[in-house]
Amino acid sequence: MKKIIGIITLIATGIFTSCTDDFLQLPPEDSLSQAVFFETQSDFEQAVNAAYVPLRDLQEVQGQGAWAMGEMTSDNTYYKYNPNYRAVQDGESMADFYVNNGNGILTNKYTSNYLIIARANQILALIDEVEFEDNNVKDNVKGQAYFLRALAYFDLVQYFGAVPLHLVPVTGRDDAALPLSTQEEIYTQILSDLGEAVDLLPLKSSQEEGRATRGSAQMLLANVHMVQESWGSAESVLSDLITSDEYDLLADYANVFDLNNKNSIESIFEVQFLEGTEGFASSFMYEWLPMPLTAEQVALVSGVPNSQASNVEGFNIPTPDLLESYEDGDLRKSVSVDSIEVDGTYFPYIDKFWQPHSNPGLTGVNMPIYRYSEALLFMAEAVNEQNRPGDAEPYLNAVRDRAGLAPLTGLNQTEMRQAIMDERRVELAFENKRWLDLVRTGTAQSVMTAFGDRVKANPQDYYFPEGFGPPAAAFTTIYELFPLPASEALLNPNF
Amino acid sequence: MRTKKTLWLGVLFMVVCCGFTANAQQRITVNGTVTDAETGQPLPGVTVVEQGTTNGTSADFDGNYSIETASDGVLTFSSVGYASQNIPVNGRLQINLSLSVDSQQLDEVVIVGYGTQTSRKVTGAVQQIDSEQLADIPVPQVTQKLQGRLVGVQINQTTGKPGQGIQVRVRGQASILAGSDPLYVVDGFPIVGDISSINPDEIESISVLKDAASTSLYGSRAANGVVLITTKSGKTEQGGFSISYYGGVQVVPQKGRPDLMNGQEFAQFKKESFEDLGQPVPEPFQNPEQYGEGYDWYDAMFRTAPIQSLNINWNARGERSSVAVVAGVFQQEGVMVNSDFKRYSLRANSKFKLNDELDLGISVAPTYSIDNLPSSDGAFYATNVNAGIPGGLVTNAMQTWPILPYKNEDGTLPLTAWIPGISAFPTPNWYRAAKEITNETKSMRVLGNVYLQYKPIDGMQIKTSINGDFGNSSFFNFSPSTVSTTFAALPPAIATSIRRDSNYLSWLNENTITYAKSFGDHNFEILGGISYQKYEADNTQLYLSNFPDDRVQTIQSALNIDRTRSFNNINEWSLTSYFSRLNYDYDGKYLITLALRRDGSSRFGSNNRWGNFPSVSAGWVFSDESFMENTDFVSFGKIRASYGIIGNNNIGNYTQYALVDNSLNAVFGNSVVSGAGLTTLGNSNLGWERTKQLDIGLDMRFFDDRLEFIYDYYKKNTTDLLFNVDIPQESGFTNFNDNVGEIEFWGHEFAVVSRNISNENISWNTNFNIAFNRNKVISLADGVDRIFNPGGAYTSITRPGEPLGQFWGLIHDGVYDNQQEFDNSPRAVESEVGTVKFKDVNGDGVITFGNENDDRTVIGNPFPDYIFGLTNDFKFKNWDASIVISGSVGNDIAVTNDQGTTNLDGVFNVLRDVKDRWRSPENPGSGRYGKTTSATFMERDWFSSRFIEDGSYLSVKNITVGYSFPLKETSFLKRARLYGSVQQAFVFTSYRGVNPEISTTTQGQQSNALALGYDWGAYPVPRTFTLGFNLSF
Repeated sequence: MKKIIGIITLIATGIFTSCTDDFLQLPPEDSLSQAVFFETQSDFEQAVNAAYVPLRDLQEVQGQGAWAMGEMTSDNTYYKYNPNYRAVQDGESMADFYVNNGNGILTNKYTSNYLIIARANQILALIDEVEFEDNNVKDNVKGQAYFLRALAYFDLVQYFGAVPLHLVPVTGRDDAALPLSTQEEIYTQILSDLGEAVDLLPLKSSQEEGRATRGSAQMLLANVHMVQESWGSAESVLSDLITSDEYDLLADYANVFDLNNKNSIESIFEVQFLEGTEGFASSFMYEWLPMPLTAEQVALVSGVPNSQASNVEGFNIPTPDLLESYEDGDLRKSVSVDSIEVDGTYFPYIDKFWQPHSNPGLTGVNMPIYRYSEALLFMAEAVNEQNRPGDAEPYLNAVRDRAGLAPLTGLNQTEMRQAIMDERRVELAFENKRWLDLVRTGTAQSVMTAFGDRVKANPQDYYFPEGFGPPAAAFTTIYELFPLPASEALLNPNF
Repeated sequence: MRTKKTLWLGVLFMVVCCGFTANAQQRITVNGTVTDAETGQPLPGVTVVEQGTTNGTSADFDGNYSIETASDGVLTFSSVGYASQNIPVNGRLQINLSLSVDSQQLDEVVIVGYGTQTSRKVTGAVQQIDSEQLADIPVPQVTQKLQGRLVGVQINQTTGKPGQGIQVRVRGQASILAGSDPLYVVDGFPIVGDISSINPDEIESISVLKDAASTSLYGSRAANGVVLITTKSGKTEQGGFSISYYGGVQVVPQKGRPDLMNGQEFAQFKKESFEDLGQPVPEPFQNPEQYGEGYDWYDAMFRTAPIQSLNINWNARGERSSVAVVAGVFQQEGVMVNSDFKRYSLRANSKFKLNDELDLGISVAPTYSIDNLPSSDGAFYATNVNAGIPGGLVTNAMQTWPILPYKNEDGTLPLTAWIPGISAFPTPNWYRAAKEITNETKSMRVLGNVYLQYKPIDGMQIKTSINGDFGNSSFFNFSPSTVSTTFAALPPAIATSIRRDSNYLSWLNENTITYAKSFGDHNFEILGGISYQKYEADNTQLYLSNFPDDRVQTIQSALNIDRTRSFNNINEWSLTSYFSRLNYDYDGKYLITLALRRDGSSRFGSNNRWGNFPSVSAGWVFSDESFMENTDFVSFGKIRASYGIIGNNNIGNYTQYALVDNSLNAVFGNSVVSGAGLTTLGNSNLGWERTKQLDIGLDMRFFDDRLEFIYDYYKKNTTDLLFNVDIPQESGFTNFNDNVGEIEFWGHEFAVVSRNISNENISWNTNFNIAFNRNKVISLADGVDRIFNPGGAYTSITRPGEPLGQFWGLIHDGVYDNQQEFDNSPRAVESEVGTVKFKDVNGDGVITFGNENDDRTVIGNPFPDYIFGLTNDFKFKNWDASIVISGSVGNDIAVTNDQGTTNLDGVFNVLRDVKDRWRSPENPGSGRYGKTTSATFMERDWFSSRFIEDGSYLSVKNITVGYSFPLKETSFLKRARLYGSVQQAFVFTSYRGVNPEISTTTQGQQSNALALGYDWGAYPVPRTFTLGFNLSF
């Protein structure tokens, strides 16, 4: 009855007034739309949550995780060639340096980061016009949005160089494709965003577990300074972080990746996963097994009884080079790498992310982006680069000490530089640091050329079956930046 | 119920609001009988119009009429082929008159948008059909009855499912993403629900508006053409009562059934396949003779089925009121097992004269229908709209091995049709699936209308109306455990059920004012109006599974509710419109019409909320000019031209909005928190598709109107096509809904109406029409040079410069018969001697399929060169006969069903001619099929010209012969006629299937303009034999 009266009234108003704008305003009722969203504090809290979601895709999309561009492009890992399963060009060409722009790994890196950027832009464009119940929440949400946008652009600029710089929400076709901005422009924006984030974000102790904190923003800022070789700035921001009393090393390296130590005191920022079938689980470690493997072999590693056989190709397999780079007595080696016997041969695999879980391929393991040990190593590097190798020692040795290694003392700047790099390689192995370290320190060319020569000379040492080896094109050009994805080039006339 | 209440309150409201004004001139009701001046016989169908108004009626079968008119008004009596007469009323209550055949006048009244016009003054492209002509055609849908009658309108029955599948395209209209169905307007109300639920017997006449001038008053909904439907109204003073009935049977014609292998042939085929492979022949195929005919699975799915229809018409007219009631029962069992359609309908149209100035009309038309329609259509892997129900039952039956029974000798039904270890796919018993799956829809619909009409001064009418269209349907599907859904598993399977409840309400308030005035020979008529329409719909679906017992199908017995397939959605739109029209003519000779509609729609973006749709048209009756005076054989001649802009607003209700997905959940620590973000971009500029249409027409009549000729040329350009444009993902989005691109349509339409013989005892009329419709894509979105059919099949291509949806594939060039031919021909990597051979279209020496510059090319066109219709009506004394023909020439059909039924792997039953395949260089077969032993996928999956067939046809849609019993004047019966009718009598075509009008998607749905002409298997269109009678009292 109420409806009927409503209709009649509506007709009456329709006839006797010309107030038809309301009559013609019918946003969808079965799903939310922009017409009714971004209006309350809760809307923005949900919006910033959604901005974290693509971080999972950056790690977890099958065959296209961050490891493909961050680790397997380095001398730390390689693939285990499977002549019977050949739908693996994307991953192999990454490791072998003959990537073309149709590679899906590039597309995932690119589009997932821009999804974060778009969601952050949406928040930043609208949040100031909305009244929040609690202004601390507003600062927190803004801070997270600035941090995530900076994180995404930093990832893009490091891998692709010049990319389009979107800072306001795209509204249509006309503003969808922007020209490429220079690396300088992008770095300027990243620094500006991080300045905001550091100011706005709360300390880890007063932030909800797993979200970006002031420490996360400081660490990201320090990383940017390291890339830009602004050693003094890096030192100053790192020293804030280190003296904040918010972070410390866990006693045992093995415990760092334990499911009970997610977002531990050592964690500065990590990508969050949750075990279960709801779609939040991680499975990247499964892709890093030396496949093909039988169900029994997979079960041996995973500990899950109903594991399934896998006949595809294994990626991100630790190289003999990496295994050799562990010093004798390094406690991290057995935590990081294990091996499995396949047809009489032992193949290494990454072990540090294998944690107990109950269903195959559905683990709750997080992927670290920044850990405190890296902050210490950055600090060591920053002071060493300011020619204070002695000042670097305590930071470096704190990391070594936990690994069961003797402290290093009395090194000159060059020796210290090498020591820090070696330490980073093993401490942060498989955390997608190695390739960017090589690029940042200008050693990518020489290290990877030499690595390629070794692979080509002894393919069987790098897991090729007898009679197989990398293609002729492999390692002929070592590039430091990757091509922009073809699917985007098709649509953006500025590429 | 809600609707009815609404209507009554609406009336009340308007009575209160409009008020009453007294003292205009007196209104009286005049009635009488119209006869033919020569024969003295009653003249049915004569139009009676009160001059200077749109108030009109028409005489009934016996020439009786009744009309309310001003007591000092003038009535115009007109009928096709007769000289019209203007008779001043002078207060008389009865006026009888006779009309004589006259060639100088052409004054049939035509129903046009928001009124009527004499056909002489029509300046647009309008065709009107009287429902009398359609009465005997034994089909449930009015659009189906129109096949062959309308010039330039393609009406295809794409599937034979009872009550389903009629596709109407006016002047070849098509769109990429927006709908292409015409707008149906019932008694002035643009309806939203399905036209097929309306009982055709309720309909008095149908007008099809084709050009921009005649449709522009429907503005943003007019671009696909407009079909105006007028329902029956009360006519005779003494009241009339009539009953019409027909009953009959439907059968699937033998011609067109698939020519599949029988049991012995199939076993032989399997045996040979194993021999050719050099493998031992499995036991079931070792003695093909043992099977004989085997089991004909296709035939098993079909039956001879009854059909019947009963309609009761009653109408009456009193001094101050008139009423017409039509009650109908239609019952049709389907020719496929477990399918049927029933409709129970009632319509009551009534009119009351409240006082001399004020008329009230009320009509209400409830319909209840029940159908049970199997998921018969689509490819063998079709799973119906709601994934999970097996679809493509017809195709699956065709493909089942004929050596296996669908029914055991004891009458029980086997659970499966497969041989363990021998059959490739676990196959359920599809016959059992057809019999045991329930797919029932029960629908209730009420159309209602209330209006008040006020005539304050002579020539002026003010009318306000409220219309409601309320529908509620509930769909119930139950898939028992005896039915499995895919090839992956055998029954017993998990029983599933879908329950879907849909209801909608659409209401319209419309307020118009018309004023007609003449100054000497200058005649003006002005229309102005405002309308408001709103639609609200609600859909709820529950998807249940795991029923412990197939016999208990209730919700509470299901152990699981599948949340991903259960949903509730709400759809609403609203439309506010202002419209006006000016008709002017000088002496009925020079005619001009201007029309404008302004539509505001909730579907349009906020920056683009209002659209203007103007049109202009002009006509010149040159036969009235003095220079034509001596050209006696020309009895009438008119040239007309029109131009206008119209829209298509079928762009989706919420396409303009940026939607927020609130399931973008994040994890922090060990908890999940809800996240939300924009997943689509809004477009506040989004608008209608815009069509600019030019029409030039010529109407001529010769030899005292014995021969009539109508010609139209049209050219339409549809721009601002709704298109989902890909955008770079740096934006955070993948695409953007925009109005871009352009399609051009043009064509020629000819119609000839000939009264070959016309005298007291014998008459013979012929009506022929033919239309040449063309389309060409002018542009797509920037940077888009081609689009393919939806669904990722890449078999229909749409490119600028070409017509829409051209078939795209390789050219089949036989088989590599021998090593020499193999060595000397271009080959694909996988080719071997004995496999399919294709043409090397790109000339690179190798056959490639699937990359950018491969050997695919355009291999067919689903659009006809021309469509035509031919109707002949005969009368000889008391006998009458009619024959209706429709046809289409030059269109191609892609028989993609052959993917299964010519699959050389031996996994399915195949067409009989596969016997004649390549087996060795000495035994190369017909060249149509390659060997069974390797690389069969190219022949099956590489879409090629082997799948393309000519779809031209000439279809004798209906033949009817009737006899009217001579009755005494005094008999209580006024008319008694018996007739027999055959529907879908003959189909002449070289296409091998049952129904050349077929066009479905793999899922068995109606296909989009980008993917027309696919035969994935569908419910056949039956041939129907009926006997019927009409009795009038």
